Amino acid sequence: MRKITVLALMTLLLMLSTLVAAATPSVDASGPKEQLQQTVEAILTVLRSDCPDEKQKNQEISALVRQRFDYQTMSQGVLGRNWMNTGEVDRSKFVALFSQLLEETYLGRIRSYKGQQIIYADAQIRQNRAEVDTFIKNDGVDIPVTYKLIPSESGWVVYDVVIEKVSLIRNYRSSYNDILRNKGMASLLEDMAVKLEELKARQEQPTQASV
Amino acid sequence: MKSQLLLAMALGFVLLTPSLPLAQDTPTTAVAPAADMAAGAYSDGLFDDLYADDEGVESHDPLVTLNRGTFWVNDKCYFYLLKPLARGFRIVPLPVRNGLRNIFYNLRSPIDTANALLQLKFKQAGTQLSRLLVNSTVGVLGFFDVAGNYYKWERKEEDFGQTLGFYGVGEGFYLVLPLLGPSTLRDGIALVPDGYADPIYWLADYPTTLVSKGVKAINTLSLDNDSYESIVEEQLDPYLFVRDAYLQHRRYNVEN
Repeated sequence: MRKITVLALMTLLLMLSTLVAAATPSVDASGPKEQLQQTVEAILTVLRSDCPDEKQKNQEISALVRQRFDYQTMSQGVLGRNWMNTGEVDRSKFVALFSQLLEETYLGRIRSYKGQQIIYADAQIRQNRAEVDTFIKNDGVDIPVTYKLIPSESGWVVYDVVIEKVSLIRNYRSSYNDILRNKGMASLLEDMAVKLEELKARQEQPTQASV
Repeated sequence: MKSQLLLAMALGFVLLTPSLPLAQDTPTTAVAPAADMAAGAYSDGLFDDLYADDEGVESHDPLVTLNRGTFWVNDKCYFYLLKPLARGFRIVPLPVRNGLRNIFYNLRSPIDTANALLQLKFKQAGTQLSRLLVNSTVGVLGFFDVAGNYYKWERKEEDFGQTLGFYGVGEGFYLVLPLLGPSTLRDGIALVPDGYADPIYWLADYPTTLVSKGVKAINTLSLDNDSYESIVEEQLDPYLFVRDAYLQHRRYNVEN
């Protein structure tokens, strides 16, 4: 008898918790960890595929990255306080340039991926932010990479990447602020456009096996 | 593989669900995340919130002109001397180079242990000391990281700069050291006492010490996947990027 009561109670609890879970404003059925993992694995699948067309591969990866990375928030984070003092036109120029720069950087980085194993830790969710710790197993040395995510209409999106305890956005912010202070926004935008051209030229070359 | 993953996910979901109401009991209940999000997203105040812990990451760099000069010299040394040597060194098989790296790690564990002790991290000091004992013997002079692989005693670097930071000594200002690269006034000075805690200093004569430092640097570089090259290629101002990354990394290490 007692057993049945306990069982009934447990069932009730489980049902209740499922109800609560359904009521919480979860953005997607799956959590930040699963969504991030899904994107990363999808990118790796494209990388590993035998498709000879490099351009098409890049486009596919780029689409996947765009879906999971919140470039708008990242750009805002990079400009920090300067975002307020920037006009609407320059803002959108900055977001466009910075998104492309990040993307080219990411594409360049991911090419050096040599099939290392990636381990995902469970997401830590606090209020409406999530952090997912990942470790890239590299010849016995683990490289810690933490993704920070916020929910959006299309699921959890990344707003910062922390590699070896160095936040990418924070780092960009520091150096871009220095450039802004010394040379101003027009000059920064110009530098970014030049750098972007350089990186794009690099991407068009066939991948070189790293020596 | 796939079914295992699905099973794990399903299990994880079931296990996590009951804890959800608990999580909701924490102060978060006061805020409705969805509404908060809709109002907060992309508004001008967002960065204040999302990157709130970022204030005070200003880089103090009064010697910027001198530092940029040293950075330039180091850059040339890297591309024309160290990197070619490191490439040549790659004829040594990878497992051997990994073992060599472990030997150098092992050789610095007295430094890690001493500084952990100075920072009153007794448990950590014990772990580092045990690592030294196990790896020096069973690990064949440190070639194999037995302590890490089998006992899961993780290596944790501590240096005198971190010890000074632990006792509240500020970093002073950013400093690029010739050949050694990014540092700060505090961490640069701290290299001296760490030098005395280095077993190589006590075991070998001066030329041997220098050669061992050289081999260590070349070996480390040979295992690196062109990270400096990427920074130079991708960043608008590599000097600033390296500086800010170093300071961020250092500040984290001092706090932990």
